[in-house]
Amino acid sequence: MPRAEQHPAIVVTGLGAVTPYGWGVDRLWEGLRRGVTAIGPFSRFDNARHRTHVAAEVPLAEGPEPPPRLSLADRFAVAAAHEAVSRAGVDLSVCAERTGVFFGSSAGGMLEGEWFFDAHIHRGARHAKQGLVVSQQFNGPGDAVARALKVGGHVETISSACASSAMAIGAALQGLRRGDVDVAIAGGSDALCQLTYAGFNALRSVDETPSRPFRKDRLGLSLGEGAGVLVLERATDAAARGATPVAILAGEASTCDAHHMTAPHPEGIGASSAIRIALADAGLDASFVDFVNAHGTGTPLNDASEAAALHAVFGARTGSIPVTSTKALIGHLLGSAGAIEAVATVLCLARREVHPMPDDGAIEPELGLDLVLGAPRSLPDVRAAISTSLAFGGANAVVVFSRVDAA
Amino acid sequence: MTAEPIAITGLGTVGPHGIGAGSLASALASGRPLASTIDRSAGYHAVGSSRLAGLVPKVDLSPWLPAAEARRLSMPSRYAVAAGRMSVEDARLPSLEGRNVAIILATAFGALLFTEKLVRQILDEGPESAQPFYFSECVANAAAARVALALGAHGANVTITEREAGPLLALARGVREVREGRAEIAIVGAVDEMTPLVHALLDRFRGPARASRDHDEAPRPFEARRDGVLAGEGASVVVLERESEAKARGARLLARVTASVAAFDATAPVVDWGSGAGPLARALHGGLSRAGHDIASIDLIVSGASGARRGDRLEAHTLAAAWTGAPLPPVVVPKAVVGEYGGGFLASAVLAAGGAAFGKIAAYEVSDPELHVAPHDGRPLPAPSRLLATSLAAGGAAAWAVLERP
Repeated sequence: MPRAEQHPAIVVTGLGAVTPYGWGVDRLWEGLRRGVTAIGPFSRFDNARHRTHVAAEVPLAEGPEPPPRLSLADRFAVAAAHEAVSRAGVDLSVCAERTGVFFGSSAGGMLEGEWFFDAHIHRGARHAKQGLVVSQQFNGPGDAVARALKVGGHVETISSACASSAMAIGAALQGLRRGDVDVAIAGGSDALCQLTYAGFNALRSVDETPSRPFRKDRLGLSLGEGAGVLVLERATDAAARGATPVAILAGEASTCDAHHMTAPHPEGIGASSAIRIALADAGLDASFVDFVNAHGTGTPLNDASEAAALHAVFGARTGSIPVTSTKALIGHLLGSAGAIEAVATVLCLARREVHPMPDDGAIEPELGLDLVLGAPRSLPDVRAAISTSLAFGGANAVVVFSRVDAA
Repeated sequence: MTAEPIAITGLGTVGPHGIGAGSLASALASGRPLASTIDRSAGYHAVGSSRLAGLVPKVDLSPWLPAAEARRLSMPSRYAVAAGRMSVEDARLPSLEGRNVAIILATAFGALLFTEKLVRQILDEGPESAQPFYFSECVANAAAARVALALGAHGANVTITEREAGPLLALARGVREVREGRAEIAIVGAVDEMTPLVHALLDRFRGPARASRDHDEAPRPFEARRDGVLAGEGASVVVLERESEAKARGARLLARVTASVAAFDATAPVVDWGSGAGPLARALHGGLSRAGHDIASIDLIVSGASGARRGDRLEAHTLAAAWTGAPLPPVVVPKAVVGEYGGGFLASAVLAAGGAAFGKIAAYEVSDPELHVAPHDGRPLPAPSRLLATSLAAGGAAAWAVLERP
């Protein structure tokens, strides 16, 4: 495609993850392959009075010693970023001023903000420790990563609900293409908190059992927490320092439904538009897409809208493209979802198999999708994949990855 | 490399100045802070804490936001939708129908009052009492989504949350959306609200200015006695188009955006400013150079100095390092008038590019010998040909933009 040839190739050279499966990419991949959901009873906060009682929470005890003055979301972000940089083998001390951080978060340090507020309103201002709200802002995790890595380049947090970190990856891609930065740390982080848990329950969007994306009996999403981080570089720079790319970040796009605050367009018009633009940005024909890491929340309306969008783009081929949803296994990570699903997509591409969703519910034939259920799907000749993020307020973001040796 | 010029063709603003660019220009010419008393009746504030904020007065938004539409919107969404429609009207755009329009908004805090109400419902009354209406409005991108719905904008819809650097980062993103062909038009701005709870919280971190024996509570950018900001609210939104297309439709050009630069000061603590003036100045120099600008060609600085003790020091030292000891051009400090947050700074920079008058900052009396920077003294200035707008955020983010007079 002519447009892609105008851009330098951007590659993924490192991955980091903190998820309900544990701390690190290896734990994530092991969990994804096994296909057993991490969604279940949780203890991040007292959920007895909430409408539902399941979520996917990160096993905190397995993580590194918490650094001082960081929120839980900051802590996830910093750990994932350190892992990604370590795996990339990039020495940021020699390029700090040309390194940027592009991050997504929808709630920042809201969990700690709730602790603060609880003390404030029930015990008085003097009992509310202000250290709890030091990193309460949406930009807390991204800034924490920038400080931890001593970055000096462009730092930007995007808080566009569930599309936040997919948009951040898109912003990183554009920044690298333009030459604004030489290394981009792109990702997202969010922690479970009462505000989002009660809020989604108020919207009747949460299922009391683990979410079953695209299944006939799906009743809603399950919330999760964690962080995903990718190290991105221009392919020429990565090659010059002898790095081995994991995948190519080929394209991205963002659109808006401008249809409804909380409901997607029923025909998925905004989502299909985003997929088409992202593929054009990547210079790839839709026929090159060999699997889809779907937004796949498990809510009746979202899944139907997303399926419609996939059909609109891929036409008759839709039913033969493997579709998976990482959210079925680790929950909906909100502002971090796009990042962790990008990490999952890259892992699937690099290892040439698509991770499964639990095989626990009748499929809905009307959706016409080839769901990967129960066991990983081997794709030895996989070339490219898309990851979709379709958010509150109609904001859509799509990222396109391709295999390094298939380019 | 000279990039396609991107023009600002419309401005909508709601803030402590009231509604519209005219009232903002008058306020900037006065040089006096647009401060009013924050409600302290909830008991959130400590004894001796700040009493003033840059609050939006009672204004009639109905020409841009009918009452029925406003009813279920948070205040930031109301401000943003009104400012968005105002900006499109100001740009005299005949219709956005069928156009590829991006919405890029910055917010530091989102919908604070609805968030507070929702958290209070959850914690006080129990999570089963949570109102879906509050939740859908308290996500950070609610205002941007509302603007998209109001304008029928189907392009990228992005909410940037990088505190004080957010508005200029949003401007930069909007410019790129148009310049790189992802959007024909970008509606770009910043929105925030200030509530008693968050005002009190900011005060606990010594954010807002306080009164003392020898001075009142006004913000004093670059002044020796400065001790905090005027915490503001409102929304300011601009319309961006390719200059060639704007001219082709006979649009009035308010300013041209010719460079955007971003950096990070990793020496900054989470809630304050750091000391990395040298690297920030290098980043600024590098960014201007890549845009083809010589820093000596800047003839006005619209500084983001706000009265924050360490923030203004970092700003002064960064400017001094960037100009490598040469005299700075005149420096104006709109946050002394409109306060921090709510987009007033962005709108002020656009007005400055058009030659708006900036009055003497009434509260500036004692120079800070450590800074070597003083706000412009209020004498008439020639309209700038090229200005630098600056924003250094607490926590480390930094952004700059170059605006030119068309």
